Amino acid sequence: MSDNKSSELGNVEPTPGSTKLDPILTIDNVVRSFGGLRAVDIDHLEVQRGIITAFIGPNGAGKTTLFNLITGFDKPDSGQWTFHQLANAKSWTTDLSGLRPHQIANKGMVRTFQLTKSLAKMTVLDNMLLGAAEQKGESLRNALFTSRWRQQENTILRKAEDLLERFKLSHMRDEYAATLSGGQRKLLEMARALMSEPKLILLDEPMAGVNPVLVESLLVHIENLRDEGVSVLFIEHDMDAIMGISDWIVVLAEGQVIAEGTPSDVSKNPAVIDAYLGSAIAEELKDV
Amino acid sequence: MLMNLFAEIDVSKLFGLALRTSIGVQAATFALAAVGLNLHYGYTGLLNFGVVAFMAAGAYGMAIFFTQGWLGGSILLAIASGLAFAVIIALSIGLPSLRLRADYLALTTIAIAEVLRISFRSQRLLDLTGGPFGLPSIEDRNANVSFADVITVDWNPIGKGNYGAWFLEFDEKTLWVMIIGWSLVSLASLLIWGLMRSPWGRVIKAIREDEDAARALGKNVFSYKLQSLIIGGVIASLAGIVRAFDMGFVETQQFRPQTTFFIWTVLILGGAASIWGPIIGSMTFWFVIIFSEELLRQMVDSGWIPEAILKSNDIASVRMILMGIMLATLMIWRPQGLVGKKEEAQIDVR
Repeated sequence: MSDNKSSELGNVEPTPGSTKLDPILTIDNVVRSFGGLRAVDIDHLEVQRGIITAFIGPNGAGKTTLFNLITGFDKPDSGQWTFHQLANAKSWTTDLSGLRPHQIANKGMVRTFQLTKSLAKMTVLDNMLLGAAEQKGESLRNALFTSRWRQQENTILRKAEDLLERFKLSHMRDEYAATLSGGQRKLLEMARALMSEPKLILLDEPMAGVNPVLVESLLVHIENLRDEGVSVLFIEHDMDAIMGISDWIVVLAEGQVIAEGTPSDVSKNPAVIDAYLGSAIAEELKDV
Repeated sequence: MLMNLFAEIDVSKLFGLALRTSIGVQAATFALAAVGLNLHYGYTGLLNFGVVAFMAAGAYGMAIFFTQGWLGGSILLAIASGLAFAVIIALSIGLPSLRLRADYLALTTIAIAEVLRISFRSQRLLDLTGGPFGLPSIEDRNANVSFADVITVDWNPIGKGNYGAWFLEFDEKTLWVMIIGWSLVSLASLLIWGLMRSPWGRVIKAIREDEDAARALGKNVFSYKLQSLIIGGVIASLAGIVRAFDMGFVETQQFRPQTTFFIWTVLILGGAASIWGPIIGSMTFWFVIIFSEELLRQMVDSGWIPEAILKSNDIASVRMILMGIMLATLMIWRPQGLVGKKEEAQIDVR
């Protein structure tokens, strides 16, 4: 599957911090320490546009912390990261460092959470409608005048229904989100994030706690996203899923990027085996 | 024995008094303040334990402006300045504490309410607020002159006299303030209804449940919370103003913290996050309070409850115990309140 996207990647070197042909996000010198621990310490990292990139690494590698940093939910000690809105246009860029979460989301970079944040006390449909960006009726000035937002609301409603259809949640449309299963909540959160038509979507462990049948359909959804032109960045532990759908894998350990490459590059990389299994076993593997 | 009791009880008076209070000005002001609190707590999830600060801001803002005779001492400008004062209070609570966790807001609101009350009471502000004596001054009050006169006498369209019958007989002043009070309750409820059915209300409800989810979807949570705090605060300040017109004066005794907790009781009783909750809650609250008070009084007076158990002086406290028991029972059996939605009932605030 990764083969059909090799055109976007070109012949990018599978080395940490390598330069991509058309990056959508570049991260420079981002450091975040908790006390004496450097949870994240990244010199340079580029995320290619239009493909599925996976962040993998052992527990405590700093994957989620990095997600929190680049989406504004946590503040780094130093560093900056830049969002390239347009394809192949080096000039149209936005410095995201220092922006607040909602500002970053409004630039077109939307995230989901490891522990799903579907809003249980709202209906599935209301969850979806909430996701749409730049709603006129969300400003106090227009809220009381239905005529000012009714038309847009109808457009959003149709979009929400289409997405619910696609994510097989239509039958739950008017139920409270509390009644959904864990896997359905993951689907809802992903669908909701798509309401704002993001350019880059960041999924934090989309498969965690989801039953195997639903995992299959989640994977298909993620691939569809890429095929529609959305860049996907996701954190995952499920190795089969990662190897199956990722076009590019970034391996983090102890806050640093220790390897990058296509799934086949990464699975052969001794540094990765080392990080995952410990050096002792890596030595043994070498002997084998 | 039981037959004896029924013979002693004046049922007509019991229901009459309770009903009178449950549609009276006090019920209207409590309902109005609860509508404001409902936006804060019920819909946005803001723990405002200083509702009374907004009521005090409204009442004192209006009374000071009027008695000082600023800008010609127009009563409409005075009311506007009361509302403006409430906005200032909302900003001074919200700007420092709304970025922090919910508990900080709760602490700040309690503190501001007490700071405000004690400042108004202080000797230093005697010329402005009348200190412990309140406004208008003692001389004016003895001469029966008050800022309320413009509204309740000069602008009163109802002719002099008593209206209604039975225990529901009101003089023209009370009736007029009742009409003003309940009209404001209706308008405020209508406003909240309009807001909550809009996309703005959707964001507000999302914030109530999970701020981070709203942030991740590009909503400026801080700004929405501040808007909610201001709108709800202004509504609560109207309650303070209406009460000032009803009483004819303002003084700090009216703005003790217990008022805040009565208004919380009203909201929880009726049902948070529902349009009718504050109204039903306030009417029920006052009905139960007066009903139990009157029942106890009649039972004590008729000797059915011996003096050794309950003296008539203690009845006022016992009715509060009864109200407490009722609220606790309600929390167990019907946490969403009388008319609240079960699915949205929200005891878990972060």
